[in-house]
Order: sequence, then structure tokens, then C-alpha cells
Amino acid sequence: MEASLMGNSQANVVKTGLPYRDSRVCCSYKNKIDDKVLFVNRVSFLGQNRSANLRKAQLRFCTKASVQSQPLPSDRDSGPLSSARPKSLDAVRLFVGLPLDTVSDANTVNHAKAIAAGLKALKLLGVEGVELPVWWGVAEKEAMGKYNWSGYLAVAEMVEKIGLKLHVSLCFHALKQPKIPLPDWVSQIGESQSSIFYTDQSGQQFKGCLSLAVDDLPVLHGKTPIQVYQEFCESFKSSFKPFMGTTITGISMGLGPDGELRYPSHHRLAKSSKIPGVGEFQCCDRNMLNLLQQHAEANGNPLWGLRGPHDAPSYDESPNSNSFFKDNGGSWESPYGDFFLSWYSSQLISHGNCLLSLASSTFGETGVSIYGKIPLIHSWYKTRSHPSELTAGFYNTAKRDGYAAVAEMFAKNSCKMILPGMDLSDEHQPRESFSSPESLLAQIRTACNKHGVEVSGQNSSVTGAPGGFEQMKKNLFGENVVDLFTYQRMGAYFFSPEHFPSFTKFVRNLNQLELHGDDLPVEEEVTESVHTNANMNIQVQAA
Amino acid sequence: MSTVTIRPLLPSYRRANLNFRDRTKILLKPNYINYSIKSAPNARRFCSFKKLQKITASSSTSTSTSTSPATSTDTTPVRPGDVFFKETFPLKRTHAVEGKIFVRLQKGKDEKNWQLSVGCDIPGKWILHWGVSFVGDNGSEWDQPPKKMRPPGSVSIKDYAIETPLKKLAEGDVFDQVKIDFDTRSDIAAINFVLKDEETGAWYQHRGRDFKVPLVDYLQHDGNVIGTKSTFGLWPGALGQLSKMILKADTSQSGIQDSSSESCELKQENKHLEGFYEELPIVKEIIIENTVSVSVRKCPETAKTLLNLETDLTGDVVVHWGVCRDDSKNWEIPAEPYPPETIVFKNKALRTLLQPKEGGKGCSRLFTVDEEFAGFLFVLKLNENTWLKCMENDFYIPLTSSSCLPAESVQEMLIPGKAEEATQEVSQTAYTAGIIKEIRNLVSDFSSDISRKTKSKEAQKSILLEIEKLAAEAYSIFRTSAPTFFEEAAVELEESKPPAKISPGTGTGFEILCQGFNWESHKSGRWYTELKEKATELSSLGFSVIWLPPPTESVSPEGYMPRDLYNLSSRYGNIDELKDVVNKFHDVGMKILGDVVLNHRCAHYQNQNGVWNIFGGRLNWDDRAVVADDPHFQGRGNKSSGDNFHAAPNIDHSQDFVRKDIKEWLCWLRNEIGYDGWRLDFVRGFWGGYVKDYLEATEPYFAVGEYWDSLSYTYGEMDHNQDAHRQRIIDWINAASGTAGAFDVTTKGILHSALDRCEYWRLSDEKGKPPGVVGWWPSRAVTFIENHDTGSTQGHWRFPGGREMQGYAYILTHPGTPSVFYDHIFSHYRQEIEALLSVRKRNKIHCRSRVEIVKAERDVYAAIIDEKVAMKLGPGHYEPPSGSQNWCFVTEGRDYKVWEAA
Repeated sequence: MEASLMGNSQANVVKTGLPYRDSRVCCSYKNKIDDKVLFVNRVSFLGQNRSANLRKAQLRFCTKASVQSQPLPSDRDSGPLSSARPKSLDAVRLFVGLPLDTVSDANTVNHAKAIAAGLKALKLLGVEGVELPVWWGVAEKEAMGKYNWSGYLAVAEMVEKIGLKLHVSLCFHALKQPKIPLPDWVSQIGESQSSIFYTDQSGQQFKGCLSLAVDDLPVLHGKTPIQVYQEFCESFKSSFKPFMGTTITGISMGLGPDGELRYPSHHRLAKSSKIPGVGEFQCCDRNMLNLLQQHAEANGNPLWGLRGPHDAPSYDESPNSNSFFKDNGGSWESPYGDFFLSWYSSQLISHGNCLLSLASSTFGETGVSIYGKIPLIHSWYKTRSHPSELTAGFYNTAKRDGYAAVAEMFAKNSCKMILPGMDLSDEHQPRESFSSPESLLAQIRTACNKHGVEVSGQNSSVTGAPGGFEQMKKNLFGENVVDLFTYQRMGAYFFSPEHFPSFTKFVRNLNQLELHGDDLPVEEEVTESVHTNANMNIQVQAA
Repeated sequence: MSTVTIRPLLPSYRRANLNFRDRTKILLKPNYINYSIKSAPNARRFCSFKKLQKITASSSTSTSTSTSPATSTDTTPVRPGDVFFKETFPLKRTHAVEGKIFVRLQKGKDEKNWQLSVGCDIPGKWILHWGVSFVGDNGSEWDQPPKKMRPPGSVSIKDYAIETPLKKLAEGDVFDQVKIDFDTRSDIAAINFVLKDEETGAWYQHRGRDFKVPLVDYLQHDGNVIGTKSTFGLWPGALGQLSKMILKADTSQSGIQDSSSESCELKQENKHLEGFYEELPIVKEIIIENTVSVSVRKCPETAKTLLNLETDLTGDVVVHWGVCRDDSKNWEIPAEPYPPETIVFKNKALRTLLQPKEGGKGCSRLFTVDEEFAGFLFVLKLNENTWLKCMENDFYIPLTSSSCLPAESVQEMLIPGKAEEATQEVSQTAYTAGIIKEIRNLVSDFSSDISRKTKSKEAQKSILLEIEKLAAEAYSIFRTSAPTFFEEAAVELEESKPPAKISPGTGTGFEILCQGFNWESHKSGRWYTELKEKATELSSLGFSVIWLPPPTESVSPEGYMPRDLYNLSSRYGNIDELKDVVNKFHDVGMKILGDVVLNHRCAHYQNQNGVWNIFGGRLNWDDRAVVADDPHFQGRGNKSSGDNFHAAPNIDHSQDFVRKDIKEWLCWLRNEIGYDGWRLDFVRGFWGGYVKDYLEATEPYFAVGEYWDSLSYTYGEMDHNQDAHRQRIIDWINAASGTAGAFDVTTKGILHSALDRCEYWRLSDEKGKPPGVVGWWPSRAVTFIENHDTGSTQGHWRFPGGREMQGYAYILTHPGTPSVFYDHIFSHYRQEIEALLSVRKRNKIHCRSRVEIVKAERDVYAAIIDEKVAMKLGPGHYEPPSGSQNWCFVTEGRDYKVWEAA
């Protein structure tokens, strides 16, 4: 889900815009609004299709945040909802992920009864909405261009009826557990044409999603994957038109394995080992190698384009088991290393750019926010070479900030960034993995702040990381501004007595809605939340 | 023909409080109408109501009357001669309509298929609420009839009753009726029913009991039913003293005689069932609505006030009236002249007969009053017994034209502030009742609601409860559809925690329970003292927890029919002896579980209908504490959140005052007596979420609930897969959020079949885990093979004789928390039990120990627990593997053997 803590000016716009969200009559305002500072007020008074404007306005905002946040408190206070809804509740919009296999066969909704009960419970808890994974392999399963949305439509209706919001994750990847494959017809093509998949240095293929190298190649019955994705999005948009911008408030675009913007560099990690290895570069399919070749030739080093690094360790190995990632004097620091890593990471970014601009242009007018998800590859972060991030496609080392370019790309497409791992804390990581989820998260968030990209949070551990709730709280309050937070994920464990009470507690804390809150004088409560908001504004201004 | 009068159950107390009706009926089911008035014992919660009441001594018998507040006022600026006051007051009264219920038993298609018809000739929405008794059932419990017996349109109510609406079977029928076809060859002993009037919510019973149509000869099957001879179809309650539900006196004694003689004839073997036709008079109260309009104007010429009174009532309507000079409303008789047909009544009031209007629709009269008077007071009288008033007060019509007055009068009639309080009070109770229904409306604008600080704490709580309920529901569905089993993960998680952690669901994890009584323990009258002497011995045997019998005063000597919860004098001893035994067990280092019966409670007093549902003692609850869906006890609480135990009023745990009182009581038991935890009786009867509430409030060291329902059988043979059964128990534990364990009834049942029939394969489920609750949620399973109900002198479900030690060899070596029955400890099994207890203790087997089933074959079952203990059951061969570990034999007995890792 989206997850930016709304302490800043944009948040307030969203707030005041809320009552109008449903009035799609106002859509016509959307494109007219081009001016900068005034925009804020117009949005809040006229109300309109908020997210499209927001996205356009966003970049401007952030540069002028201090100017704009001044008039807002009064706006908000005069807003029709301001008295009815305590601010704290709005502080973090909380979403909960629906089961990954909510719809695994296009015509049926799995565990519908359980989900129905779950939705009611969430609504009563004050949760804003739910996240629904929409699978390429389900909706376009049988043949290219033949879509079946019925199961998903049923879920959307259910969600709408309960009065929750819906965040849709378009998933162009496959899933092992529960098993959701790529569309049958894609798999068939893959059988005869295996180069549509990523290949590692030992020639092993990853069939969980298409290689980014074929993005613009007409490998799918004469169409490029990008075209196919685009048509999928178009079909989704027209089928879900009644929900767009009302019930559906956000769409995240699948960008790669597990929907994340990355190479499948860690897919063959042995489960047994506690310390994840560094992973492998995924550049050995024919098309990737072609691109590499071209790039090498253009750089005047044709020999560098013959293959990937020869001295990189394999999946489960530690950085020092070969020379590429060595902390001192590793090849990653050599001119070749820089050549390769620059190319490898830029391919990923342009792939992301391609998909996010596609999503942006497709859904731009529907009033939903567009999101993309970035992985939090935190192991080996404390080494100089950050090998796991490098293999995954983020050229982020002790010497180079690899996330600035990513954030810039998000900003360019007016997309919000989903960051997982908000439940992970350094102290619970094995020492030997040189891992630091907290510092990595901070680094990415700084990059986002700098480029004015709103961040939305997720937790990573499905079975509950130790101290996870505490960590999440830490990541959602204080300086950490999150547009929304998506808690993963509804299922048996989620509702179990071991888990659900801590979740409700988390939600209550999040909303600062104490059960016995009515013991407190009303006045006090109000002032308190005003303070919080004031603080947030200050922080935003400082940022 | 018998003429037994049947009256609805709530006839009399409608009267005084009808004035609430308009304001509350949206929120209330009709049977709450009587909400306010009579609950003197519980007045503390309803003081706001009491203030409202100015109960007038109304003397009506057959009809009761009242009016509702004015619904419209119309005041216009005063000009001379203008009407300055005009108002229409609704008049509501109830009228008893007499009709009859008929019951016909007749042959259907052939000798074997018979038909029971029940009908009623009073128009209304009648529902037949019915069930059957099977041959051999004792007690008054109903069962659901077989599917094919249920007429179309029937709805199941819990698992014991059916509701079928009565309808006109043919065009032009006078009767609404329902026909039930049944097969005389089935083993149905009787059909039981009550009639429900959906419009008013009233239950219609037969002389305070269910109607019962016997299909077999009782005398043959149930010797103690002699009492039933005298009345038709009367069924003795499980406890005579509880069921003296007396309704209205019968109109004619001879009627009873008639009916009894008839019913005697009915009691025949079902082979020669005889048809019959009975008509039973019934009285239904129908609400009649009329209005009275008053308009007042000045007559400029005479300086008098003219008051016109009109009503649509017909017949001789007398206005009993007077005037007053100020707000105090002291009646005065004005000076003459009076309107025609006026008499002076005892010098206090005037009585004027209204004139029929032209066309015969209602009547009216014009009154002339001198200007000096400020108000006109009246009531309407229809006959000697029927008076129509304004909300129990006199109608008051202001005669001065200052515009504030009409308003004031209206205000007075509405008493807005107070009435709203009352409404709220009511609504909160109704809230819990209807919450599921309301949730749909709620959710739509809930997000703003939930955060509003004005939302009462009560509502928030019920919302949280509701959230928990929904989550539990979602959980139970998810976990069954989830491909991977959650418990396995949970076990691992739990194991990583330090084992010393204490939680009420599990204690330390190393508990071994002793059930410290049997069904006969009350006989000596000094059980506490006797048990005290055994404390040291029990402790040295290895028990860490003792379960004491229910301590409260009880209608039955064994203690399971508690009445006054704060009276701890029982047949086991008095409160001092109880404290003594508790102290003694504490001294020897054992914890004490109190056996608390929270599902039901016997009443001290009867209500107006003679139904025992009013409580006394320190917790002097009224019938709001009793669930509404057991017609035997006419509770006015909400519907039960679980199954009903039919022998006593089931407590409505959704009532906040009930929960508060129970929590207080449990805390008192903890502090005053020193109980460490609870054994919770019959927890099937109410939602586990309430248990959680109680446990969180009392923070016990250990708690276990008795959730006992039957296993699944196919053609008389127990199914191998008892997942549904253990799931129900686990669902309950879940609903209680794991705060309590539950007796592993599933394991006991499976052991019965496995041991008795030499089917040891049953002891492994499809996943190679123990097949009982202990296989799924070992830390919450309290394993046992016998208790005071299943064994002892009751023997409701006795463990296969001679196999007890195999049972103990199983539960004392396996995970879960084992509970050993008193009778077995002090029997010839003692040495063997002692040996097994010491194996368990020595090897530190605990409730989460890992069990690996190595054999589950026809004649042998073998398992290794925590890699430390190996055991086998059954005559077949098994020796622990002689691989990496050396095993040495520790103990054995008939068809079991136990080894320890060396």
C-alpha cells in the first residue's frame, strides 16, 4: 500500500480532499491546475481527483515545503472532516495485504468467507484498506489478450461494500508458494525460447518473470512484453473503472521478481544457511549479453562485453570467497567493475522507468496513485562493496549512492516508492551477515526525500520478525514520514491468537486511539494531536 | 374437549411502561417492552428509568391502557378567536384477543406415516419453535428432528430446535398452520414445541412448559413421569424445583381433567398411536391505536376559553376532567355550567360523556372554561377498567395563550432528557444483541465513529469484542484451508521461549493435574477435610495442581447447579474448611483449581409467570441475566452465545453487569479463598471471548475449559478422522485467545476406540501426529481419560474397563497437560500411575514435548517423546531402536511398556 506518513503539506491536501474523493464529477479540474503554490488551496477547496494532481504537484511541493505548509493547518481545521476524524488516525494510512492467493483461478475467490470476516474486523479496527495482488498468470492465463477479471472484481466489490480502500498490486511475476505461475501461454513461449528468462553465470534460468532484456523485443507472439503489460493495464483500467479513484486508491506496478525492482540474484539461495550469500549477477541470457556487448563496444572496450564478471562468487558464497567483492582491492573497484556495475544497474533503472512511465500514463487520469516497490537487500550492507545489492542491480557501495538514481527515476514518473523491511531491526540480524536493514532503509529514505518521492512502508517477515511491531512503529513515527503502510499479510497466522492481538495493539498505537481514551478529557486529546501535527510540519520543513 | 386457557407469557407488565414504547421500539425486540418497571432487585442500573415512572394505579384487568406522547404540536400566533393550541395525542391500548391453538395428530398416507398439525386462528406471524425427544433421552433437552421431518421453510435454531412459520395452507383457510410428517417407526419419543408470535416476540407455552406430543408410551420408558398423568403432555423438568413454572390459573378445573384423561389415552405405544384433536384457547394481546385531538381557542365575546375534544374512539367515551390554576396541576372543578351529560364525580372531577360524531366515526365535545384557569386536565374512560392517559399522567392542556406553555406541556410529556437517557441505556444492551446485524450499518460510517471520543467505552468494548469474534472466525476458516499447518510453526516458536513462562493457558508447561473428587464426594459432607489429609500424599506422587469440586451453594449436591455464588457452603464443606484445604495444598506446593460454573445459575425466585429466573443472594440479577433463546426460562437477555444447558437458566454473558459481577466474583475467589486457577464448567454454553475476558481479569495460573461434544461416527463406528471434533475444541480455545486450555475430549474418544477394539492405528492422524487436540495444539490440551461425569458413579462415557492404564501410559508420556482422576489414583492402579508420573517428571516431559509416532498399526502403537521416552501400547511387538541411543525399560503393565533413554 501506499505509506507516507502525512505530516507534510501533501498529506494535508489529501486530507481535505477526502470528502470529495468520490465526486468524480470534478475530474475536469485535474489538468487545469498548473500553478504551484496556489494549487494547495485549490485542491483543498475544490476537491478533485487528488492523486493525479498530487503527483504532478509533488515535485514542486517538496522544494517549497516550508512555504506551503504554513497555510495548511487552518485549511485542515476548517475542513469538513477535521473535527470528525482525529488527526492521529489519519497519520498513517494502514493497509493490510490480502492473501497472495486470494484469486488463484480467475473465477473464484479463495477463502471468501474468511476474507469477508477479516475485512469486517479490519474495518472495525480502523484500517484504511487492503492490498490485493492481481496476477498476470491468473487474469491473462489462457491466451494473450484474453482477460478474466471476475474473481478480482468480486473482491473489489467486497472491499467496496465494507467501505475499505483497495490497493492493487499488478504482479507480472510468478509465485512458488502458493503456486501462481506465469500465464500458460508465456510459459509455453519460454519453453521454446528460453532466452526470455534471466540466466545466471552457470546457465541456470530463473523462470519467475521475464528478463528485462526482452522488454522491447517482440518475443510474445510479435508483441513486446512492455506492450503486453500495457494492454494488461489498459484492460484492468477499463474493467475496474467504477472503482478507480474511489475504492481503488493505489496501484503498484510489478517491476520484477516478487514485484520488486531487482534482478533475481538471490533466487537460488539455499534455505538452510542462516547467512545469505551474495547472490549472482543475472546477465547471461542471450539478450542481456547482446546489450552488454553493445554497451562495451560503445565504450570502446568490446572485450568487456563478452560476459559478466568472471570472479564473482556464486549464490551462497560470502563476499570474500572470490575476488570481485573483496572489501579491499576487489574487482568492483576496478574500471571494469565500474563499467559493468554501471551498465547492470542502469539497465534495471531504465526497465523500472519504462514500466513506471507506462503505469503513470495508463492510470494517470484515474485518480489513483502509482507505486513501485524497491527491495531492501540488507545483508552485507556493512561491507564496502555491498555485494548483495550489486548483484540485485543497485550500484550502491561505500563509495557510491546507488539509490539516488532510483529515487530520481521514481520522481520523474511521479510514483511513490514502496519500501519493505520496516519491521527489521539490526539487532536481530545475524552478525556474520554484516547486515543493516536500518541503515539501508535510512539511506533509501534520504534519497527519496531528496527527490521528493513519497515512501510507503511494508513489513517483510510474514511470520513476524522479533520486535517487528516496535520497529515498525519506529519507522512510522518521528522523522519518518510515510504515506501509508501495508501490513503483510492476511491469513491464518495473521488472525491467530499468537498474532492478532499484537496487531490490534499495533493499530491502536498507530492511531493513538486508546481503548480507554475517553477517560481523558477531550480537550487534552485534541491538543495532543495538534502538537503531533505541528511537530510533523516542522520536521517536514526541516527536511 | 379440554379447555385449558393459554395466555401469553408476558401479559401483565406491559401496562405501566408503554409510555416508553414509542421511543424504544426501534431498538427493542417486543419482549423487551417490559424493560423498565419491575426490576427492583437491579434498580441500581436503572435509576434513570425509575425517575421517569409515575406509576398510576391503573386497575384494568383485561386490557391495559396508556397513551404515547403527542406526536405533533401545532401552535400558531395567537389572535383573538384563533385556535392557539391544537394537538393530537395517540392513544394506545392493548386488547386481549381470544383465539385458539389446535393440535391434531392423525394418520398420514399410511399406517407408518403420521402427521402432526399445529395451527392458530389469531391472525399474526406465528412461528412454531420445535424439536423432538428421542427414545431413551432423559432430561428436557430437545434434539433437532431428522431433516426429512422438517417442513419447507424451516430454520435451524442452534442444534436443538427448528423454527417453522405457520401459514395458510390453502386459499381461504381460517387457520395458519404447519404440518409435520413423521415416520412412526423412527425412534422419536415426542415432538415438543412452543409457539412464538413474531410480531410481539411473545412465547406461547402450555402451562408454562413446552407443548409435548408424546409418540410413545412414557410410562413404559420413563417411570418417573407419573406427574405427567395429570396434564396433557407435561414433561417433568430435569429438576422439579426449578420448573414450577406456573402460568395463569386455569380457567376451569374440569378442563384439566378433561385434557388429562385425553392425554392418558394418548400415551400409548407408538405402534398403536392414536390420532387426536385438541383445541387450546389462547389470548393474544393486540395493540389498538386511537387518537384524541384537542384544540383550544379564545372566545373574544365571552372571555372564555373554548376547548374542543375529539377522538376516533367509539362507544361511550367519558372524559374525566378538571381544571387547574397553575403548573401544580391541582384538580379543581370549575363553576357551572357544565356541558350536557356531565356529572360531578366525588367532588373532585367532572365526567362528561362525549357525543358521537355524525357518521359514527368517533365522538367529540366542546368545553367552555373561564379565563382564570391555566390548564385543562383530563383522562379518558372507556369503561370501569379501561382508562386512557397520557404517558401515565393526566392529559394537560394549557389554556393561556402565552406561547411557551404548549411547548412546556409537550416537553413535559416527552421528558426528553430523561427519556433519551433511558433510550441509551436500552440501546446499549440492544447494541450487543444486534451488533452483528448492525455491523453492516456501522461499518459504513464507522471510521469516523470509532475515533469520536464521545463514543462510549461500552461501545468500544463491544466493537473490540466484535473484532475478536470476526478474527476468530477468519482464523478458523483460514487455518483449515491453509495448506501448511499453523500449529507446527507455533510449537517451534513456543519452544524457543523459556519454559518457565507462566500463562493461564499452560501454566509452566510442566503441570500434572489431579482431579480431587468424584461424583460421590459430596456424600460425606466433609470432603474438604478428607481431601486435606491426602494433600501430602498427592504432592509426593508428583501432582502439581489439584482440581477441587465446585464450591458454591448448589441445587444439586454435586455443586454443578450453583445458586448463590458468594455462598461457599456446599456439601463438600463450609468456607472455612475450603480455606483450610486450599492452604494445605499450598503448603505442599500444589496449585488449586476452582471448578466454576459460569454457564448457568439456578434462580432463587419465580417471575410473574412462575418461571424461575430471578436471582437472589449478593448477585441479585433479574431475568436480563438470562439468555433469551431458551423458552424454558424466559430470559430477557440476549441470545445465547453458545449452546444451552436446559436444566437451569443460562447466563447471558453479553450483559456487562453480568460480566462485571462474574469477574468480581472470580477475583474474590482468588483473593479470599486462594484459588490459583479455574476449571471452567460447560464452556460450550457461551462464547470463548468472554472466557478470555474473565481470565484476563483474574490472571489465573492455569485454566482449563470443559468443551465436551460428541465425536463423529459413521454407522455407529467412530471415524478415524476426528479433525472436526478437535477443531471445535480448538476454535473455542482460539475464541478464548489461548488464555485457557481445554480438556482433550477427542483424545479420550479415540483412545476408547483404539484400546477397546484393538485399532491402534487410530492413534496417528493422517499427518502422523496424535489425532486429538494434543496433536494440534498440545500446549492447550488437557488430556484425561476419565472424570466425574464420564466415569465415577455416573458413567456417562466410561473409559473401556481394564484399559485405564494404557490410557494413562499414553497421556502421562505424551505432550499436553495430563489430568489424573481421583478414583484411579486411589485404586489398584496407584503403583502403575506413580511409576508413570515419575517417568514424566524425571524426563521433564511437558505440554509441548515433541512426539514422534513410530508405529500406529492394528495391534500396536509406539511413540518416542522428546527422544527421551519410548512407549508402546497394544499387544503387538515393539522395541525401541537400538541405534544411537540406548533404551532401558522402566515400567510396564497390561498392553503397555515404557522405556527411557539411558
